[in-house]
Amino acid sequence: MIHIDCPNCGPRNVQEFRYGGEYNPRPPEPMAVMAEEWTDYIFMQNNEQGLQKEWWYHRAGCQLWFLAERHTKTNEISRTYYWDNTKNKTD
Amino acid sequence: MTQQAKNRLSPQPGELIDREKNITFSFDGKTYQAYPGDTIASALAAAGVKVFSRSFKYHRPRGLMCCAGQCPNCLVQVADEPNVRACTRQVEANMNVNSQNAWPSLKRDLMSLTSLGDRFLPVGFYYKAFIRPKFLWPFFERILRRAAGLGKVSSETGLGRYDKQYLHADVAVVGGGPAGMSAAVTAAEKGARVILFDENPRLGGHLRYGLSSMEAPLSELLDAVNQSSNLTVYPNTMVQGWYEDNWLSAANGSRLYKVRAGSVIVATGAYEQPLLFDNNDLPGVMLGSGAQRLINLYGVAPGQRAIIVTANQDGWLTAANLQAADIEVVAVIDERPEIKDSLIQQVIADGAAVLWKHTIISAEGPGKVSRALITELDGDGKINSQAKYDIHCDLIVISVGWAPASGLLYQANGSIAFDHERSEFLPQSLPAGIFAAGRVSGSHNISVQIEEGRSAGLQATAFLGISEPLTEAERVGLNAQHVEEPRRTSELVYVPGKKKQFLCFCEDVTKKDLDTSIAEGYDSIELLKRYSTISMGPCQGKMCSQNTIHLCARANNRTVEETGTTTARPPMSPVPLGVMAGQNMEPVRLSSVDDWHRARGAKMMVAGLWMRPEHYGDPLAEVKAVRQRVGLIDVSTLGKLRLVGSGVPDLLDRIYVNKWQKLEVGRVRYGLMCNDEGIILDDGVTARIAEKEWYMTTTSSGATGIYEWIQWWLQSGWGEGVQLTDITEINAAFNLAGPEARSLLQELTEADVSNEAFPYMHARDLTLAGVPCRLFRIGFTGELSYEIHCPSGYGRHLWEAIMMAGEPFGISPFGLEAQRILRLEKAHIIVGQDTDALSDPIAADMAWSVKLDKEDFLGQRSLKRITEEGPQQRLVGFKVKNGVPVPEEGLQIVQDGNENRLDIIGWVTSSRRSPTLDEGIGLCWLPVDLAEQEGATFTIFREGVLIEAQVHHGPFYDPDGERLKL
Amino acid sequence: MSLKLIRQGLKGDRSPPRMWRQQPLKEHYDVVIIGGGAHGLACAYYLAKDHGITDVAILDKSYIGSGGSGRNTTIIRSNYLTPEGVQFYDESVKLFEQMADELDFNVMFSQRGHLTLAHTDGAVRTMRRRAEVNKLQGVDSRLIWPEEIKRLCPYIDISQHPRYPILAALYHPPGGVIRHDAVVWGYAHQADSRGIHIHQLTEVTGINVEAGRVTGVETTKGTIKTGIVLNATAGWCTTIADMVPVKLPVTTFPLQACVTEALKPFLDVIIVSGSLHVYVSQSDRGELVMGAAVDPFASYSMRGSLAFTEGIAGHILELFPSLHQVRVLRQWAGLCDMTPDYSPIMGVTPVEGFLVDVGWGTYGFKATPVSGKRMAELISTGRTPDILKPFRLSRFYENDLVGEKGAASVGH
Repeated sequence: MIHIDCPNCGPRNVQEFRYGGEYNPRPPEPMAVMAEEWTDYIFMQNNEQGLQKEWWYHRAGCQLWFLAERHTKTNEISRTYYWDNTKNKTD
Repeated sequence: MTQQAKNRLSPQPGELIDREKNITFSFDGKTYQAYPGDTIASALAAAGVKVFSRSFKYHRPRGLMCCAGQCPNCLVQVADEPNVRACTRQVEANMNVNSQNAWPSLKRDLMSLTSLGDRFLPVGFYYKAFIRPKFLWPFFERILRRAAGLGKVSSETGLGRYDKQYLHADVAVVGGGPAGMSAAVTAAEKGARVILFDENPRLGGHLRYGLSSMEAPLSELLDAVNQSSNLTVYPNTMVQGWYEDNWLSAANGSRLYKVRAGSVIVATGAYEQPLLFDNNDLPGVMLGSGAQRLINLYGVAPGQRAIIVTANQDGWLTAANLQAADIEVVAVIDERPEIKDSLIQQVIADGAAVLWKHTIISAEGPGKVSRALITELDGDGKINSQAKYDIHCDLIVISVGWAPASGLLYQANGSIAFDHERSEFLPQSLPAGIFAAGRVSGSHNISVQIEEGRSAGLQATAFLGISEPLTEAERVGLNAQHVEEPRRTSELVYVPGKKKQFLCFCEDVTKKDLDTSIAEGYDSIELLKRYSTISMGPCQGKMCSQNTIHLCARANNRTVEETGTTTARPPMSPVPLGVMAGQNMEPVRLSSVDDWHRARGAKMMVAGLWMRPEHYGDPLAEVKAVRQRVGLIDVSTLGKLRLVGSGVPDLLDRIYVNKWQKLEVGRVRYGLMCNDEGIILDDGVTARIAEKEWYMTTTSSGATGIYEWIQWWLQSGWGEGVQLTDITEINAAFNLAGPEARSLLQELTEADVSNEAFPYMHARDLTLAGVPCRLFRIGFTGELSYEIHCPSGYGRHLWEAIMMAGEPFGISPFGLEAQRILRLEKAHIIVGQDTDALSDPIAADMAWSVKLDKEDFLGQRSLKRITEEGPQQRLVGFKVKNGVPVPEEGLQIVQDGNENRLDIIGWVTSSRRSPTLDEGIGLCWLPVDLAEQEGATFTIFREGVLIEAQVHHGPFYDPDGERLKL
Repeated sequence: MSLKLIRQGLKGDRSPPRMWRQQPLKEHYDVVIIGGGAHGLACAYYLAKDHGITDVAILDKSYIGSGGSGRNTTIIRSNYLTPEGVQFYDESVKLFEQMADELDFNVMFSQRGHLTLAHTDGAVRTMRRRAEVNKLQGVDSRLIWPEEIKRLCPYIDISQHPRYPILAALYHPPGGVIRHDAVVWGYAHQADSRGIHIHQLTEVTGINVEAGRVTGVETTKGTIKTGIVLNATAGWCTTIADMVPVKLPVTTFPLQACVTEALKPFLDVIIVSGSLHVYVSQSDRGELVMGAAVDPFASYSMRGSLAFTEGIAGHILELFPSLHQVRVLRQWAGLCDMTPDYSPIMGVTPVEGFLVDVGWGTYGFKATPVSGKRMAELISTGRTPDILKPFRLSRFYENDLVGEKGAASVGH
């Protein structure tokens, strides 16, 4: 995975990007969730050994935050795509 | 006296040296002659030098073996450069070459006495020795340590000059032998942009160092390469690593190439392998390819009376090569049953005796080869341990097989497995876009190599969609040819004997060491490697990995397949740190006023990526100027964000812990940001410039991170009606502070800047000294002050204009140190200094800014819990009495604990002597119950002495903030 | 020179005793330890030695010490930032000091001094803070200035760099390096000789739980019944925990290191620079062993990158410009399980009988003996020792994180 296919700019060297961590949607109503569920959201990780949906940011390029599906054992990226702005942040 | 080149042969057809010129260089203090094109080793060998180094553990003399930079035997020191491979480094005039790891000299190395005690020094002996008494271990360690290591470094060595270059290719071909050249030419013919890398100065690979009968295919291939228009050759360039997505690193001298290729063809050849027999490391024992390199590339005789120990055609080729160079071949010792072909007949006709089904049992010295003991193999290949022949010779040539140079294929996650038919580890399947050709895939026959190269070239271009894929018929034909080749690599590997048989030359690991290790339980290939250190040295397994797998399998009664392989990691050969590093590329960020600061004698300091003035000579005078008159500080490093749109108030409400909906146009507000854990991320002020336009500042160190943080939220659901632009570098920013600030400001503008027209916590756009500026009336210093933002291009002009207009007011520039004192007198926190990665605003005494009654904001859920549970620690101000030293930042706050111990209950985050108040002040973390009592005393531990301090709430200076509002 | 060696030498070729044996996998063990690294082996050893519990199986999907234990850069130190961290690692250093004698195997612990460089005034503040916390816990640490740094490390460049001036260093004389594999082998030998079974090439495929209790482990070699399972893995700790399942706040990152060719000794101390994300020491073999911070993105790939070698070479030359001709021999990577507070997770989980010794980030190897000893105590007594309490899994739910994150980003 030396290359990442930025949805705006096309394939670029990984060093242009910042890794944003695994996709971890924020609970829609934080004040309504139980303490344990909230802790799970802020601390617990799937730490997937396999295909992981994750955030990347094109720091040295178009400054897009986008999503990628990457196999964490091979670093092969099967797909990069825009966050779907028709959805709510929390979907 | 210059040493004579007694071993120099008459000119050889393909030699690389220029006999018209002479250069001299020194080795261990003696002067030697060389021709341009010679390597250090070839010139020394020409002069009759046999011993090039001493071995790592036993300090045994070692001579040339591979002549290809693969084995560790000729590592030398060239001036202050350690561990140079003498056999591949070209000689330069006046080069100062010295041997390594020998004392007092290469010839008489006292450390070789370790050999005498070797029965007490089995493999891993240091794990079993020096355990008790414990206090003696450091002493023994020093001795061990002194004995270790090869070359020397010098602290006097000056800076190196290195650079890097990016290359792009459709097809990158690694290795310029017949397969590589053929692959490159084919791919280029099909229209691919091709790069061909070869570690040697000239293309050709084994065609160049092999017999002159190979000239025909070589010149054909060279012509084809030269005529190819879209093929670029990089000679002297070793491809060092394969990384994901066909990203290669390659080194040539002081340059690192970083290569992006569409497809990679690996044609890296193979390493000829040593045979294990008694004294198989004696100088004069050489690999066939090594002997051939000396003869054909440099016109140097590797010896005068040779025997060839072989198991394949390569040994006979070497024999013929020696004979052609008028070197006597006494005998060819071939482990195979008799074979008849024209090459063999020719060698015998030229005077060599031949012993079929025989092999060598021992090389005899002293010091260098003088005799070889030969024994017989019976019908089952069993070895008779009694020597049958004793042959006088000074050169023992070993040609018993090859280990494919598959390092890059391993790195590319290729699957490589043992092929019993061929007795080699060959690629089984390779990832898409990676192809192998030539010896690395087991092909030793030149015509097969060329054909296989062509096929790889076609497959690579087909993979890229440039050409048609290979037809099934072509593929089948190629495979058939491949399989028909006779086996080149013997499985004999080891001839039992009585003396040392070296398996790993780098680390002096013997066959016996291997057996011992396995018997002790280090029986998997990885454990064996780690325990015995086999393959951990300079050659990284090139000379020993394959043999180790065979011997490990036998010792465990397992098959080679079950035993498996070890992987190869980059680099393929050792690369200097300087080459990896390239030029120093550590940039610093400078403000638009940087030159002015330096001209004014500022002491600059590193602040993140920025260089900032710490002070201009006297920080206390700078503090005084701000408190009494007026000062100017460069705060261009602040993060500056422009937010536009109707959604901004909602966004600010979500990312700050305080409220923003009602901030009026022209007003400024302090804001604190947290993450969802409730941890403080950053702080700054944000102004509402117009109904839908906002201007945010962040801390200097947080600028990039906060911009990206906000972008993330904007781009994942909170972005409606908000445009965000980072203008950190677009605007310069200065803070004009002090009681005279307004009077000075008025000098520079026609606008009304009176307290009524431009009150505290307001923002105004004004023209100052002709420059359009944005001003915020805020004050980190606690004085009447204006933060002035203007386009960076005008920064220097505006700064000078303010300084000039300020002269009558007694203006002084001030630096970070003065600012820290000034803010501390006001008890303002610095995020990242007074807080850390676990500080929340409740504990940091900023609960006042947290509005839990807002709608959803970042950190709300966690901060609610923290508020309910209450923090354990609190950030609070303190004072120390006059005459008491000011406790340094980082000191710990203690109380009496159990067993006469002092328990830590807090620590000092900020402290200074306040010149304004003339007392020691600071901020610290304390347990909440203590922190809440104004005036409570506590103790700070300083150099063994306890200092008493007092809790202080609120600002130390101007607690009601009146001076800000003047 | 030990008597044993002399005897072995005089006796000639008689083959030496095996360090550990291959045992048949039993149907039941009192304790099953997943992960044959230094931590798992140490725990097994202390279970047997301190508590007489020997019906223990250690399972490793590869060979012993194949993970982080054999991939780290072997730095041992106790100069941490928090009192709980200092106390924990101080016990560890003391156990390392006794280890060769205790295991009758020379692990070559070399306490040559550890210097953490400060390149900014903020770093000076942090170093002073650490030095003070250390001193108050009885750990030898102090702030030293460029002249003394130069004296301890003559090859370092203390001239005024534009970007990374060396302003001061935290000097920790007891800090040292060790032969990491020897620690693994020494514990394995002692565990084996006390009857503990080491099962290499035995991969765990499932963990059986009934009514909130662990009942057994499924492996590629068969099923084991057991009431106690310790997850002592790194790089796979969430994968193992998922089998229970227990959630962990862990993200796995590769950490890369490299080694140069051997040189005559010139660097006695261990040099660490947080700002430059680099640490370097010279081994007894003469090689420079160098490591960096974890990779910039999470991954289980141990392939390594060119960017790493380029970066670390540049950073080493910032500190030691005269080393530019020294050759990099080999690079490799290991896996680090990072937690939100840069501190490990040790102790019980919501599932009875399932214990964890995970989340060791970049500081696991240096905790080997203390984590082994104290986890063994927990398994034996059923009570969490005080020294482990700050590192319990439940701290994340109790808002009681450990403060090590305040320290520099490079934790070596």
